[in-house]
Amino acid sequence: MTAVIEVEHLTKTFGKVEAVRDVSFSFAEGGIHGLLGRNGAGKTTLMKLMTGQEFLTSGTVKVFGQSPVENASVLGRVCFINESQVYPENFRGKHALKAASQFFVNWDEEFARELIADFGPPLGRPIKKMSRGQRSAIGVIIGLASRAELTFFDEPYAGLDAVARHMFYDHLLADFSRNPRTVVLSTHLIDEASNLLDRVVVIDAGEILIDADAEQLRVEAVTLVGKASAVREFAAGREVLGIQQLAGMASVTVTGLDDDDRQAAREAGLEVGPVSLQQLIVSRTGGRTSATKEGAAS
Amino acid sequence: MTALAMDAPGVARGLKERLWDVVRLHATNPWTTLILPWLITFAIFGLNYAIWALVSRAAGSGLEPDAFANNGGVSWILVYMMVTAVQAMSATFRFALGMSVTRRDYYLGTVLYFAMLSVLYAAGLTVLGWVEQLTDGWGLGGYFFAPVGLDSQPLWLRAYAILVLLLMFFFVGATFAAVWMRWKVNGLLTTFFAIAVVLVGLAWWATDAGLWGVVGDFFTEHSIVVLLAWTLPFTAAAALTGFGLLRRATP
Repeated sequence: MTAVIEVEHLTKTFGKVEAVRDVSFSFAEGGIHGLLGRNGAGKTTLMKLMTGQEFLTSGTVKVFGQSPVENASVLGRVCFINESQVYPENFRGKHALKAASQFFVNWDEEFARELIADFGPPLGRPIKKMSRGQRSAIGVIIGLASRAELTFFDEPYAGLDAVARHMFYDHLLADFSRNPRTVVLSTHLIDEASNLLDRVVVIDAGEILIDADAEQLRVEAVTLVGKASAVREFAAGREVLGIQQLAGMASVTVTGLDDDDRQAAREAGLEVGPVSLQQLIVSRTGGRTSATKEGAAS
Repeated sequence: MTALAMDAPGVARGLKERLWDVVRLHATNPWTTLILPWLITFAIFGLNYAIWALVSRAAGSGLEPDAFANNGGVSWILVYMMVTAVQAMSATFRFALGMSVTRRDYYLGTVLYFAMLSVLYAAGLTVLGWVEQLTDGWGLGGYFFAPVGLDSQPLWLRAYAILVLLLMFFFVGATFAAVWMRWKVNGLLTTFFAIAVVLVGLAWWATDAGLWGVVGDFFTEHSIVVLLAWTLPFTAAAALTGFGLLRRATP
């Protein structure tokens, strides 16, 4: 496995605000990587740093083994679809697609036409007059049809309805299997996208919180439901992500259980259930509200 | 994973192609830079023509022969092109970065496009000025396409004058655009203020040191060709400044 992206001790400050704080991770070549986190967690900043749009404060970013900043040979292999992409004032949908077809060497015009037919953005309309969903559709079409070796999608489907979003997932998966490449997807619709993801990096307040194989994450974390006393007894000393209590019953989300632990939990009369990626991330990124804390304390 | 990416041979395109991509980006919607300026020019010319015709008819034979000789209405295009430069760059810069273009390629391609526009407009205006001359001012003695003060100069000199002036206004515009993209409004205001301070300072200095005579001599002693050539170092300085500023601009 070669790493397409290597980030080491990366820090980015805007004035006094540390948007990204001493972050290190790497993305292997091939696969769909999720960059997840709350709004303002630093996902977009991180993507801008990886595509040379922002300048880092300290640390290193390497894409295809080199710094992406002002590096035409790296950027020529990268496509970054940014939710807040600004289009030229006088551009209509067709202008954006035409320009994109010129810039991306691997552009597949036939695929683009197929996507246009499916998503149906109004190509003759000025982009500034399009709805958020229509603008997103333009971005999604560019990102998929560009077939760049490394494609970043930053909240690619803001404003798209459920049908269009699933169309995006279907196209992404189908095209990805035909033309393997590296995709980095940032989204807060975590459960919807979780089946696509091979790897998950969760960023919160500028720092990496989770960096794990998606499958492993799904297996590792479980919810245990049972009598409050039994739940608390079992959870003591384990890595607890969240706990909820209702009357005499409690449910706890824990990680790091192996098969023996699961067996022990069952024997203790607890019900072992899966945890969705979303639940897992919510509980890790400040989802522990005062209500659940109280529940845990009582 | 098979070696898909790391050692893929340079699929990246050469510099020439990349710059040409940027030129094409500017021309993707030709309205602002290629169509509208001509439309406005012809509209202003049409109005001028209508006024000449109106005045000629009203004045009859009492009209002085050179009544419409000093118009130079076309000079507006210089300022317009400065505005166009700012518009074109502020419209496309963030999009170009989104299309994985480096700032360097973007700026060089943009400069190339502006130079091409300068040549195109200088050529077009010179040809129109030539037709104007051949038709004795469109049959009415009206001079619109000849730049002010240059209407009696040979055609090549007029073409040269329009070209170097267009280049200067384009690149000054590019510099202001780069200031805008680097520091937004505060940057522009600071720049305007700094320019004003420098100009006032120079005026003080010139007055204090009694240099105004020298300045006057400079303009009278040199030929118009040389004077116009003096815009070139200034234009080049503006272009380089814009480049330096844009290299560190973020979308």
